[in-house]
Amino acid sequence: MRRRSVLGIMVILLNLCLASAGLCAEVSQGKCLKFDEGSMSITLEEYDTEFSQEHPYGRPTGITSVYNASKAQIGAPPKVGDILRIAYEVKGTERVAIKVMNVTRQDLMKK
Amino acid sequence: MRLVPKRGRLLTPIVGLLGMAVGWIPDWVWAGGEKATNLVVVADTRRVSGIMKYFANLYNTNTLLFAVWAVVLTVLFGALLGLLMDWLMSRTGIDLKTRKIIEH
Amino acid sequence: MEWLYLYMPIAGVTIFWPGLVLIGFSVGVIGGFFGMGGAWMVTPGLNILGFPMAFAIGTDMAHIAGKSMISTIRHSKFGNVDYKLGLIMVLGTFIGIEVGAQLVMYLERLGKVESTVRWIYVGFLALIGTMVFYDYYKATRKKRMGVVEGEKGAEGITWYKTLHRIKIPPVVHFKTAGFTCSVWLPITVSFMTGLLAGFLGIGGGLLRMPALVYLIGCPTHIAVGTDLFEVMISGLYGAFTYSMKGRIELVAVFVMLTGAAVGAQIGTVATKYAKGYGIRIAFGICVVACMVSIILKEFGFSSLSAAIILVTIGLMSAYITVIMIKGAAQELREKKALARSLAKAA
Repeated sequence: MRRRSVLGIMVILLNLCLASAGLCAEVSQGKCLKFDEGSMSITLEEYDTEFSQEHPYGRPTGITSVYNASKAQIGAPPKVGDILRIAYEVKGTERVAIKVMNVTRQDLMKK
Repeated sequence: MRLVPKRGRLLTPIVGLLGMAVGWIPDWVWAGGEKATNLVVVADTRRVSGIMKYFANLYNTNTLLFAVWAVVLTVLFGALLGLLMDWLMSRTGIDLKTRKIIEH
Repeated sequence: MEWLYLYMPIAGVTIFWPGLVLIGFSVGVIGGFFGMGGAWMVTPGLNILGFPMAFAIGTDMAHIAGKSMISTIRHSKFGNVDYKLGLIMVLGTFIGIEVGAQLVMYLERLGKVESTVRWIYVGFLALIGTMVFYDYYKATRKKRMGVVEGEKGAEGITWYKTLHRIKIPPVVHFKTAGFTCSVWLPITVSFMTGLLAGFLGIGGGLLRMPALVYLIGCPTHIAVGTDLFEVMISGLYGAFTYSMKGRIELVAVFVMLTGAAVGAQIGTVATKYAKGYGIRIAFGICVVACMVSIILKEFGFSSLSAAIILVTIGLMSAYITVIMIKGAAQELREKKALARSLAKAA
Protein backbone atom coordinates (compact mmCIF):
# COMPACT_ATOMS: atom_id res chain seq x y z
CA MET A 1 0.00 0.00 0.00
CA ARG A 2 2.75 2.41 1.00
CA ARG A 3 4.80 1.59 -2.10
CA ARG A 4 1.77 2.15 -4.28
CA SER A 5 0.94 5.51 -2.75
CA VAL A 6 4.55 6.59 -3.13
CA LEU A 7 4.33 5.47 -6.75
CA GLY A 8 1.13 7.47 -7.20
CA ILE A 9 2.76 10.59 -5.81
CA MET A 10 5.77 10.10 -8.08
CA VAL A 11 3.48 9.81 -11.10
CA ILE A 12 1.78 13.09 -10.20
CA LEU A 13 5.07 14.89 -9.65
CA LEU A 14 6.48 13.55 -12.92
CA ASN A 15 3.39 14.80 -14.69
CA LEU A 16 3.77 18.21 -13.15
CA CYS A 17 7.33 18.43 -14.40
CA LEU A 18 6.46 17.19 -17.88
CA ALA A 19 3.45 19.42 -18.26
CA SER A 20 5.50 22.50 -17.57
CA ALA A 21 8.29 21.68 -19.98
CA GLY A 22 8.43 23.86 -23.06
CA LEU A 23 6.60 26.75 -21.46
CA CYS A 24 9.04 29.55 -21.09
CA ALA A 25 8.03 33.16 -21.07
CA GLU A 26 10.26 36.17 -21.02
CA VAL A 27 9.64 39.29 -19.03
CA SER A 28 10.30 42.88 -19.88
CA GLN A 29 9.58 46.05 -18.00
CA GLY A 30 9.45 49.62 -19.15
CA LYS A 31 7.47 52.71 -20.01
CA CYS A 32 4.32 52.49 -22.09
CA LEU A 33 4.70 54.68 -25.18
CA LYS A 34 1.49 53.71 -26.95
CA PHE A 35 -1.53 51.49 -26.26
CA ASP A 36 -3.77 50.81 -29.25
CA GLU A 37 -7.07 49.47 -27.95
CA GLY A 38 -8.27 48.51 -31.44
CA SER A 39 -5.47 46.11 -32.28
CA MET A 40 -4.53 45.63 -28.62
CA SER A 41 -0.89 46.39 -29.24
CA ILE A 42 1.42 47.94 -26.69
CA THR A 43 4.57 49.83 -27.53
CA LEU A 44 7.06 49.74 -24.71
CA GLU A 45 10.36 51.43 -24.05
CA GLU A 46 12.38 48.77 -22.29
CA TYR A 47 14.24 49.42 -19.06
CA ASP A 48 17.18 47.42 -17.77
CA THR A 49 17.52 45.64 -14.40
CA GLU A 50 19.84 48.16 -12.75
CA PHE A 51 17.46 49.18 -9.96
CA SER A 52 18.41 52.05 -7.67
CA GLN A 53 16.88 54.81 -5.59
CA GLU A 54 16.67 57.17 -8.57
CA HIS A 55 15.57 54.45 -10.96
CA PRO A 56 13.27 52.09 -9.00
CA TYR A 57 12.10 50.46 -12.24
CA GLY A 58 15.49 50.31 -13.95
CA ARG A 59 17.14 52.70 -16.40
CA PRO A 60 15.81 53.38 -19.91
CA THR A 61 17.69 51.47 -22.58
CA GLY A 62 16.24 53.30 -25.56
CA ILE A 63 15.05 50.02 -27.15
CA THR A 64 11.38 50.05 -28.08
CA SER A 65 9.36 46.96 -28.90
CA VAL A 66 5.76 46.17 -29.80
CA TYR A 67 3.68 43.55 -27.99
CA ASN A 68 0.52 41.88 -29.21
CA ALA A 69 -1.74 41.90 -26.16
CA SER A 70 -4.92 40.63 -27.81
CA LYS A 71 -4.90 37.41 -25.80
CA ALA A 72 -3.22 38.74 -22.67
CA GLN A 73 -4.64 39.19 -19.22
CA ILE A 74 -4.46 42.89 -18.54
CA GLY A 75 -4.90 44.41 -15.10
CA ALA A 76 -5.45 48.14 -14.85
CA PRO A 77 -5.69 49.53 -18.46
CA PRO A 78 -2.31 50.93 -19.53
CA LYS A 79 -1.98 54.66 -20.16
CA VAL A 80 0.94 56.36 -21.91
CA GLY A 81 3.72 56.90 -19.40
CA ASP A 82 2.75 54.01 -17.12
CA ILE A 83 5.40 51.52 -16.07
CA LEU A 84 4.33 48.09 -17.37
CA ARG A 85 5.74 44.64 -16.77
CA ILE A 86 4.92 42.18 -19.51
CA ALA A 87 5.34 38.43 -19.63
CA TYR A 88 5.54 37.37 -23.28
CA GLU A 89 6.42 34.62 -25.67
CA VAL A 90 8.20 35.10 -28.94
CA LYS A 91 6.18 33.55 -31.77
CA GLY A 92 7.99 34.01 -35.09
CA THR A 93 8.85 37.67 -35.20
CA GLU A 94 6.01 38.73 -32.92
CA ARG A 95 6.09 39.23 -29.18
CA VAL A 96 2.83 37.81 -27.84
CA ALA A 97 1.98 39.08 -24.36
CA ILE A 98 0.58 36.61 -21.80
CA LYS A 99 0.11 38.96 -18.86
CA VAL A 100 0.38 42.70 -18.62
CA MET A 101 0.97 44.15 -15.17
CA ASN A 102 0.46 47.84 -14.65
CA VAL A 103 3.13 48.61 -12.07
CA THR A 104 2.16 52.28 -11.80
CA ARG A 105 -1.55 51.88 -11.30
CA GLN A 106 -1.91 48.96 -8.99
CA ASP A 107 -0.98 49.10 -5.38
CA LEU A 108 0.05 45.67 -4.18
CA MET A 109 0.36 46.91 -0.64
CA LYS A 110 -3.34 47.61 -0.41
CA LYS A 111 -5.68 44.80 0.54
CA MET B 1 -5.64 -6.22 4.92
CA ARG B 2 -6.51 -8.36 1.94
CA LEU B 3 -8.83 -5.73 0.58
CA VAL B 4 -6.26 -3.00 0.64
CA PRO B 5 -3.98 -4.06 -2.25
CA LYS B 6 -7.04 -4.46 -4.47
CA ARG B 7 -8.07 -0.90 -3.85
CA GLY B 8 -4.47 0.19 -4.22
CA ARG B 9 -4.27 -1.45 -7.63
CA LEU B 10 -7.28 0.49 -8.70
CA LEU B 11 -6.20 3.68 -7.04
CA THR B 12 -2.80 4.03 -8.65
CA PRO B 13 -3.95 4.45 -12.27
CA ILE B 14 -6.85 6.67 -11.19
CA VAL B 15 -4.57 8.98 -9.27
CA GLY B 16 -2.11 8.92 -12.15
CA LEU B 17 -4.77 9.77 -14.70
CA LEU B 18 -6.12 12.54 -12.49
CA GLY B 19 -2.65 13.97 -12.20
CA MET B 20 -2.28 13.81 -15.99
CA ALA B 21 -5.63 15.46 -16.54
CA VAL B 22 -4.85 18.29 -14.17
CA GLY B 23 -1.47 18.83 -15.78
CA TRP B 24 -2.74 18.96 -19.33
CA ILE B 25 -6.02 20.89 -19.08
CA PRO B 26 -5.72 23.79 -21.48
CA ASP B 27 -5.41 27.18 -19.86
CA TRP B 28 -8.46 28.69 -21.51
CA VAL B 29 -10.72 26.41 -19.47
CA TRP B 30 -9.64 28.29 -16.38
CA ALA B 31 -9.30 31.74 -17.90
CA GLY B 32 -12.91 32.60 -17.12
CA GLY B 33 -12.31 33.04 -13.44
CA GLU B 34 -9.69 35.71 -13.89
CA LYS B 35 -11.91 38.60 -14.89
CA ALA B 36 -13.35 39.17 -11.42
CA THR B 37 -9.99 40.15 -9.96
CA ASN B 38 -8.64 43.14 -11.73
CA LEU B 39 -5.18 42.59 -10.37
CA VAL B 40 -2.65 41.04 -12.70
CA VAL B 41 0.82 40.42 -11.35
CA VAL B 42 3.83 39.47 -13.43
CA ALA B 43 6.77 38.00 -11.54
CA ASP B 44 10.04 39.52 -12.65
CA THR B 45 11.95 36.48 -13.88
CA ARG B 46 14.89 38.63 -14.90
CA ARG B 47 15.99 39.00 -11.29
CA VAL B 48 15.87 35.39 -10.12
CA SER B 49 17.55 32.15 -11.13
CA GLY B 50 17.38 28.41 -10.64
CA ILE B 51 14.32 26.90 -8.99
CA MET B 52 12.94 30.34 -8.14
CA LYS B 53 13.04 31.18 -11.82
CA TYR B 54 11.12 28.00 -12.62
CA PHE B 55 8.32 28.91 -10.20
CA ALA B 56 8.25 32.58 -11.15
CA ASN B 57 8.01 31.56 -14.79
CA LEU B 58 5.26 29.09 -14.00
CA TYR B 59 3.42 31.83 -12.15
CA ASN B 60 3.48 33.91 -15.31
CA THR B 61 2.57 31.24 -17.79
CA ASN B 62 0.46 28.52 -16.18
CA THR B 63 -1.42 29.51 -13.04
CA LEU B 64 -3.19 26.16 -12.76
CA LEU B 65 0.01 24.18 -12.63
CA PHE B 66 1.43 26.76 -10.26
CA ALA B 67 -1.58 26.31 -7.96
CA VAL B 68 -1.18 22.52 -8.03
CA TRP B 69 2.50 22.88 -7.17
CA ALA B 70 1.64 25.28 -4.35
CA VAL B 71 -0.73 22.76 -2.77
CA VAL B 72 1.53 19.74 -3.34
CA LEU B 73 4.59 21.50 -1.94
CA THR B 74 2.68 22.80 1.08
CA VAL B 75 1.48 19.29 1.87
CA LEU B 76 4.94 17.76 1.37
CA PHE B 77 6.70 20.41 3.43
CA GLY B 78 4.03 20.23 6.12
CA ALA B 79 4.33 16.45 6.34
CA LEU B 80 8.12 16.62 6.40
CA LEU B 81 8.17 19.20 9.19
CA GLY B 82 5.46 17.29 11.05
CA LEU B 83 7.43 14.05 11.03
CA LEU B 84 10.67 15.82 11.89
CA MET B 85 9.08 17.60 14.85
CA ASP B 86 7.43 14.36 15.91
CA TRP B 87 10.81 12.68 16.06
CA LEU B 88 12.31 15.60 17.99
CA MET B 89 9.42 15.68 20.47
CA SER B 90 9.62 11.94 21.08
CA ARG B 91 13.21 12.43 22.25
CA THR B 92 12.14 14.78 25.06
CA GLY B 93 10.58 11.89 26.95
CA ILE B 94 7.14 13.46 27.26
CA ASP B 95 4.23 11.07 26.95
CA LEU B 96 2.61 12.07 23.67
CA LYS B 97 0.10 9.29 23.35
CA THR B 98 -2.29 9.77 26.24
CA ARG B 99 -4.00 12.62 27.97
CA LYS B 100 -6.87 12.90 30.37
CA ILE B 101 -9.81 15.03 29.38
CA ILE B 102 -10.30 17.34 32.31
CA GLU B 103 -12.87 20.04 31.68
CA HIS B 104 -12.25 21.85 34.99
CA MET C 1 22.74 42.49 7.92
CA GLU C 2 21.72 41.62 4.41
CA TRP C 3 21.25 37.94 5.16
CA LEU C 4 18.28 38.82 7.36
CA TYR C 5 16.35 39.91 4.31
CA LEU C 6 14.85 37.53 1.80
CA TYR C 7 13.82 38.31 -1.74
CA MET C 8 10.24 37.37 -2.66
CA PRO C 9 10.40 36.44 -6.33
CA ILE C 10 6.75 37.03 -7.19
CA ALA C 11 6.03 40.14 -5.16
CA GLY C 12 9.47 41.54 -5.97
CA VAL C 13 10.17 42.87 -2.47
CA THR C 14 12.69 41.96 0.21
CA ILE C 15 11.24 40.95 3.57
CA PHE C 16 12.78 40.65 7.04
CA TRP C 17 12.45 36.86 7.27
CA PRO C 18 12.88 36.37 11.05
CA GLY C 19 9.69 38.41 11.34
CA LEU C 20 7.88 35.87 9.17
CA VAL C 21 9.25 33.01 11.28
CA LEU C 22 8.04 34.76 14.45
CA ILE C 23 4.53 35.30 13.06
CA GLY C 24 4.40 31.66 11.99
CA PHE C 25 5.64 30.51 15.39
CA SER C 26 3.22 32.50 17.55
CA VAL C 27 0.17 31.85 15.42
CA GLY C 28 1.26 28.20 15.35
CA VAL C 29 1.22 28.07 19.15
CA ILE C 30 -2.21 29.68 19.34
CA GLY C 31 -3.66 27.65 16.48
CA GLY C 32 -2.47 24.35 17.92
CA PHE C 33 -3.98 25.20 21.28
CA PHE C 34 -7.37 26.45 20.11
CA GLY C 35 -7.82 24.55 16.88
CA MET C 36 -8.12 27.50 14.59
CA GLY C 37 -6.22 28.81 11.62
CA GLY C 38 -5.74 32.32 12.92
CA ALA C 39 -5.78 34.10 9.56
CA TRP C 40 -7.08 37.25 11.21
CA MET C 41 -3.98 37.34 13.39
CA VAL C 42 -1.50 37.03 10.55
CA THR C 43 -2.59 39.97 8.41
CA PRO C 44 -1.61 42.85 10.73
CA GLY C 45 1.78 41.25 11.35
CA LEU C 46 2.42 40.90 7.64
CA ASN C 47 1.33 44.48 7.15
CA ILE C 48 3.98 45.72 9.60
CA LEU C 49 6.72 43.70 7.89
CA GLY C 50 5.84 45.45 4.64
CA PHE C 51 4.48 42.35 2.98
CA PRO C 52 2.29 43.20 -0.03
CA MET C 53 -1.32 42.76 1.03
CA ALA C 54 -2.32 41.50 -2.39
CA PHE C 55 -0.55 38.25 -1.51
CA ALA C 56 -1.57 38.10 2.13
CA ILE C 57 -4.69 35.91 1.94
CA GLY C 58 -3.30 33.18 -0.30
CA THR C 59 0.01 33.04 1.56
CA ASP C 60 -1.90 32.83 4.80
CA MET C 61 -4.20 30.07 3.64
CA ALA C 62 -1.35 27.87 2.42
CA HIS C 63 0.70 28.36 5.57
CA ILE C 64 -2.33 27.64 7.74
CA ALA C 65 -3.08 24.45 5.82
CA GLY C 66 0.48 23.23 6.31
CA LYS C 67 0.52 24.20 9.96
CA SER C 68 -2.84 22.57 10.69
CA MET C 69 -1.49 19.41 9.14
CA ILE C 70 1.39 19.38 11.62
CA SER C 71 -1.00 20.04 14.53
CA THR C 72 -3.46 17.41 13.30
CA ILE C 73 -0.71 14.78 13.23
CA ARG C 74 0.11 15.57 16.86
CA HIS C 75 -3.52 15.81 18.04
CA SER C 76 -4.26 12.57 16.25
CA LYS C 77 -1.69 10.75 18.41
CA PHE C 78 -3.45 12.05 21.52
CA GLY C 79 -6.70 10.68 20.13
CA ASN C 80 -8.11 14.19 19.86
CA VAL C 81 -9.27 13.90 16.26
CA ASP C 82 -12.58 12.28 15.43
CA TYR C 83 -11.97 11.57 11.74
CA LYS C 84 -15.46 10.28 11.15
CA LEU C 85 -16.97 13.47 12.49
CA GLY C 86 -14.36 15.53 10.62
CA LEU C 87 -15.05 13.88 7.27
CA ILE C 88 -18.81 14.23 7.66
CA MET C 89 -18.32 17.89 8.49
CA VAL C 90 -16.06 18.49 5.48
CA LEU C 91 -19.12 17.95 3.32
CA GLY C 92 -21.20 20.63 5.03
CA THR C 93 -18.23 22.99 5.30
CA PHE C 94 -17.50 22.94 1.56
CA ILE C 95 -21.08 23.44 0.43
CA GLY C 96 -21.43 26.16 3.05
CA ILE C 97 -18.29 28.02 1.95
CA GLU C 98 -19.38 28.01 -1.70
CA VAL C 99 -22.90 29.21 -0.89
CA GLY C 100 -21.48 31.91 1.39
CA ALA C 101 -19.07 33.13 -1.30
CA GLN C 102 -21.91 33.28 -3.83
CA LEU C 103 -23.98 35.24 -1.35
CA VAL C 104 -21.24 37.83 -0.98
CA MET C 105 -20.94 38.18 -4.76
CA TYR C 106 -24.71 38.66 -4.98
CA LEU C 107 -24.55 41.35 -2.31
CA GLU C 108 -21.58 42.95 -4.05
CA ARG C 109 -23.77 43.55 -7.07
CA LEU C 110 -26.24 45.33 -4.82
CA GLY C 111 -23.39 47.39 -3.39
CA LYS C 112 -21.96 48.22 0.03
CA VAL C 113 -20.92 44.85 1.33
CA GLU C 114 -17.73 45.33 3.27
CA SER C 115 -19.17 47.26 6.15
CA THR C 116 -22.21 44.95 6.44
CA VAL C 117 -20.01 41.86 6.42
CA ARG C 118 -17.78 43.34 9.07
CA TRP C 119 -20.69 44.16 11.37
CA ILE C 120 -22.19 40.68 10.99
CA TYR C 121 -18.79 39.30 11.92
CA VAL C 122 -18.65 41.53 15.00
CA GLY C 123 -22.15 40.38 15.95
CA PHE C 124 -21.14 36.74 15.81
CA LEU C 125 -17.95 37.30 17.73
CA ALA C 126 -19.92 39.11 20.43
CA LEU C 127 -22.32 36.19 20.55
CA ILE C 128 -19.54 33.61 20.86
CA GLY C 129 -17.69 35.69 23.44
CA THR C 130 -20.81 36.05 25.57
CA MET C 131 -21.55 32.36 25.24
CA VAL C 132 -18.06 31.29 26.33
CA PHE C 133 -18.06 33.53 29.42
CA TYR C 134 -21.67 32.81 30.34
CA ASP C 135 -20.97 29.08 30.06
CA TYR C 136 -17.93 29.44 32.30
CA TYR C 137 -19.91 31.46 34.85
CA LYS C 138 -22.74 28.93 34.92
CA ALA C 139 -20.39 25.95 35.12
CA THR C 140 -18.34 27.34 38.00
CA ARG C 141 -21.52 28.22 39.90
CA LYS C 142 -22.81 24.69 39.46
CA LYS C 143 -19.47 23.30 40.52
CA ARG C 144 -19.44 25.43 43.66
CA MET C 145 -22.93 24.22 44.51
CA GLY C 146 -21.70 20.68 44.06
CA VAL C 147 -23.82 19.79 41.03
CA VAL C 148 -22.06 17.20 38.91
CA GLU C 149 -23.85 15.63 35.97
CA GLY C 150 -22.37 12.88 33.90
CA GLU C 151 -18.72 12.05 33.40
CA LYS C 152 -17.77 15.46 32.00
CA GLY C 153 -18.28 17.24 35.33
CA ALA C 154 -20.23 20.45 35.77
CA GLU C 155 -21.14 22.09 32.51
CA GLY C 156 -22.75 25.44 31.82
CA ILE C 157 -24.37 25.38 28.41
CA THR C 158 -25.76 22.02 27.37
CA TRP C 159 -27.72 22.83 24.21
CA TYR C 160 -26.21 19.82 22.50
CA LYS C 161 -28.15 17.52 24.80
CA THR C 162 -31.39 18.80 23.30
CA LEU C 163 -29.95 18.60 19.79
CA HIS C 164 -28.84 15.01 20.35
CA ARG C 165 -32.43 14.09 21.07
CA ILE C 166 -33.51 14.91 17.51
CA LYS C 167 -33.01 11.51 15.95
CA ILE C 168 -33.53 11.90 12.23
CA PRO C 169 -32.00 8.82 10.59
CA PRO C 170 -29.28 7.90 9.93
CA VAL C 171 -28.12 8.04 13.54
CA VAL C 172 -24.36 7.62 13.95
CA HIS C 173 -22.11 6.90 16.89
CA PHE C 174 -18.88 8.88 17.05
CA LYS C 175 -16.48 6.72 18.98
CA THR C 176 -13.63 9.16 19.62
CA ALA C 177 -15.86 12.07 20.53
CA GLY C 178 -18.06 9.71 22.53
CA PHE C 179 -21.62 10.58 21.54
CA THR C 180 -24.41 9.39 19.30
CA CYS C 181 -26.54 11.71 17.20
CA SER C 182 -28.26 12.12 13.88
CA VAL C 183 -25.78 12.56 11.03
CA TRP C 184 -27.68 15.69 10.05
CA LEU C 185 -26.59 17.55 13.18
CA PRO C 186 -22.88 17.84 12.25
CA ILE C 187 -23.79 18.38 8.59
CA THR C 188 -26.14 21.25 9.42
CA VAL C 189 -23.76 22.83 11.91
CA SER C 190 -20.79 22.58 9.53
CA PHE C 191 -22.93 23.97 6.71
CA MET C 192 -23.87 26.96 8.84
CA THR C 193 -20.31 27.64 9.99
CA GLY C 194 -19.04 27.10 6.43
CA LEU C 195 -21.65 29.51 5.11
CA LEU C 196 -20.55 32.14 7.59
CA ALA C 197 -16.88 31.51 6.85
CA GLY C 198 -17.43 31.88 3.11
CA PHE C 199 -19.57 34.94 3.66
CA LEU C 200 -17.11 36.61 6.01
CA GLY C 201 -14.06 35.50 4.05
CA ILE C 202 -12.40 33.79 7.01
CA GLY C 203 -11.16 30.28 7.72
CA GLY C 204 -13.97 29.55 10.14
CA GLY C 205 -12.07 27.96 13.02
CA LEU C 206 -13.15 30.81 15.25
CA LEU C 207 -16.78 29.83 14.67
CA ARG C 208 -16.44 26.06 14.25
CA MET C 209 -14.55 25.35 17.46
CA PRO C 210 -17.30 26.72 19.77
CA ALA C 211 -19.98 25.18 17.52
CA LEU C 212 -18.36 21.78 18.02
CA VAL C 213 -18.38 22.28 21.78
CA TYR C 214 -21.77 23.87 22.35
CA LEU C 215 -23.93 22.57 19.52
CA ILE C 216 -22.43 19.17 18.69
CA GLY C 217 -21.27 18.33 22.19
CA CYS C 218 -17.61 17.46 21.70
CA PRO C 219 -15.26 17.51 24.68
CA THR C 220 -13.08 20.63 24.33
CA HIS C 221 -9.92 18.69 23.46
CA ILE C 222 -11.61 16.73 20.70
CA ALA C 223 -13.26 19.88 19.34
CA VAL C 224 -9.79 21.41 18.98
CA GLY C 225 -8.31 18.39 17.18
CA THR C 226 -11.27 17.81 14.88
CA ASP C 227 -11.52 21.47 14.00
CA LEU C 228 -7.84 21.51 13.01
CA PHE C 229 -8.54 18.67 10.61
CA GLU C 230 -11.28 20.83 9.02
CA VAL C 231 -9.01 23.87 8.92
CA MET C 232 -6.36 21.83 7.11
CA ILE C 233 -8.72 20.70 4.36
CA SER C 234 -10.42 24.04 3.80
CA GLY C 235 -7.02 25.75 3.98
CA LEU C 236 -5.65 23.57 1.18
CA TYR C 237 -8.70 24.31 -0.91
CA GLY C 238 -8.35 28.04 -0.22
CA ALA C 239 -4.64 27.94 -1.05
CA PHE C 240 -5.47 26.34 -4.39
CA THR C 241 -8.11 28.88 -5.42
CA TYR C 242 -6.02 31.86 -4.33
CA SER C 243 -2.97 30.51 -6.15
CA MET C 244 -5.12 30.27 -9.26
CA LYS C 245 -5.74 33.98 -8.90
CA GLY C 246 -2.02 34.54 -8.45
CA ARG C 247 -2.41 35.76 -4.89
CA ILE C 248 0.29 33.75 -3.15
CA GLU C 249 3.96 34.11 -2.31
CA LEU C 250 5.34 30.60 -1.96
CA VAL C 251 8.68 31.55 -0.41
CA ALA C 252 6.90 33.31 2.44
CA VAL C 253 4.67 30.26 2.94
CA PHE C 254 7.69 28.03 3.56
CA VAL C 255 9.42 30.50 5.86
CA MET C 256 6.29 30.94 7.98
CA LEU C 257 5.62 27.22 8.00
CA THR C 258 9.06 26.52 9.46
CA GLY C 259 8.26 28.74 12.43
CA ALA C 260 4.76 27.34 12.69
CA ALA C 261 6.03 23.75 12.88
CA VAL C 262 7.76 24.49 16.18
CA GLY C 263 4.91 26.63 17.47
CA ALA C 264 2.30 24.02 16.63
CA GLN C 265 4.12 21.42 18.76
CA ILE C 266 4.11 23.71 21.76
CA GLY C 267 0.47 24.68 21.35
CA THR C 268 -0.69 21.14 20.78
CA VAL C 269 1.25 19.56 23.62
CA ALA C 270 0.05 22.36 25.91
CA THR C 271 -3.55 21.13 25.49
CA LYS C 272 -2.45 18.03 27.38
CA TYR C 273 -1.71 20.06 30.49
CA ALA C 274 -4.60 22.51 30.14
CA LYS C 275 -8.08 22.01 31.48
CA GLY C 276 -11.00 22.17 29.07
CA TYR C 277 -12.45 25.27 30.66
CA GLY C 278 -9.04 26.94 30.68
CA ILE C 279 -8.89 26.50 26.91
CA ARG C 280 -12.43 27.83 26.57
CA ILE C 281 -11.68 30.98 28.56
CA ALA C 282 -8.45 31.78 26.73
CA PHE C 283 -10.35 31.23 23.49
CA GLY C 284 -13.02 33.65 24.65
CA ILE C 285 -10.37 36.31 25.29
CA CYS C 286 -9.05 35.84 21.73
CA VAL C 287 -12.57 36.20 20.36
CA VAL C 288 -13.08 39.46 22.25
CA ALA C 289 -9.71 40.79 21.06
CA CYS C 290 -10.62 39.95 17.48
CA MET C 291 -13.96 41.72 17.88
CA VAL C 292 -12.45 44.86 19.38
CA SER C 293 -9.84 45.02 16.61
CA ILE C 294 -12.51 44.83 13.90
CA ILE C 295 -14.60 47.55 15.53
CA LEU C 296 -11.54 49.80 15.80
CA LYS C 297 -10.70 49.16 12.16
CA GLU C 298 -14.24 50.01 11.11
CA PHE C 299 -13.87 53.42 12.77
CA GLY C 300 -10.50 54.06 11.16
CA PHE C 301 -8.10 53.23 13.99
CA SER C 302 -6.08 50.76 11.92
CA SER C 303 -2.81 50.97 13.83
CA LEU C 304 -4.52 50.63 17.21
CA SER C 305 -6.41 47.62 15.90
CA ALA C 306 -3.15 46.02 14.71
CA ALA C 307 -1.54 46.78 18.05
CA ILE C 308 -4.35 45.02 19.94
CA ILE C 309 -4.03 41.92 17.79
CA LEU C 310 -0.25 41.82 18.11
CA VAL C 311 -0.36 42.25 21.89
CA THR C 312 -2.97 39.48 22.15
CA ILE C 313 -0.84 37.14 20.03
CA GLY C 314 2.25 37.92 22.09
CA LEU C 315 0.61 37.41 25.48
CA MET C 316 -1.42 34.37 24.42
CA SER C 317 1.50 32.50 22.88
CA ALA C 318 3.66 33.31 25.90
CA TYR C 319 0.91 32.05 28.25
CA ILE C 320 0.50 28.81 26.28
CA THR C 321 4.26 28.26 26.11
CA VAL C 322 4.45 28.62 29.90
CA ILE C 323 1.65 26.05 30.33
CA MET C 324 3.51 23.62 28.10
CA ILE C 325 6.92 24.05 29.71
CA LYS C 326 5.54 23.86 33.26
CA GLY C 327 3.44 20.80 32.46
CA ALA C 328 6.24 19.01 30.66
CA ALA C 329 8.74 19.76 33.42
CA GLN C 330 6.31 18.43 36.04
CA GLU C 331 5.69 15.28 34.04
CA LEU C 332 9.39 14.60 33.56
CA ARG C 333 10.07 15.24 37.25
CA GLU C 334 7.35 12.80 38.25
CA LYS C 335 8.70 10.20 35.86
CA LYS C 336 12.17 10.55 37.32
CA ALA C 337 10.83 10.28 40.85
CA LEU C 338 8.91 7.16 39.93
CA ALA C 339 11.99 5.57 38.38
CA ARG C 340 14.01 6.39 41.49
CA SER C 341 11.47 4.87 43.86
CA LEU C 342 11.24 1.79 41.67
CA ALA C 343 15.00 1.43 41.75
CA LYS C 344 14.96 1.78 45.52
CA ALA C 345 12.28 -0.86 45.89
CA ALA C 346 14.32 -3.23 43.78
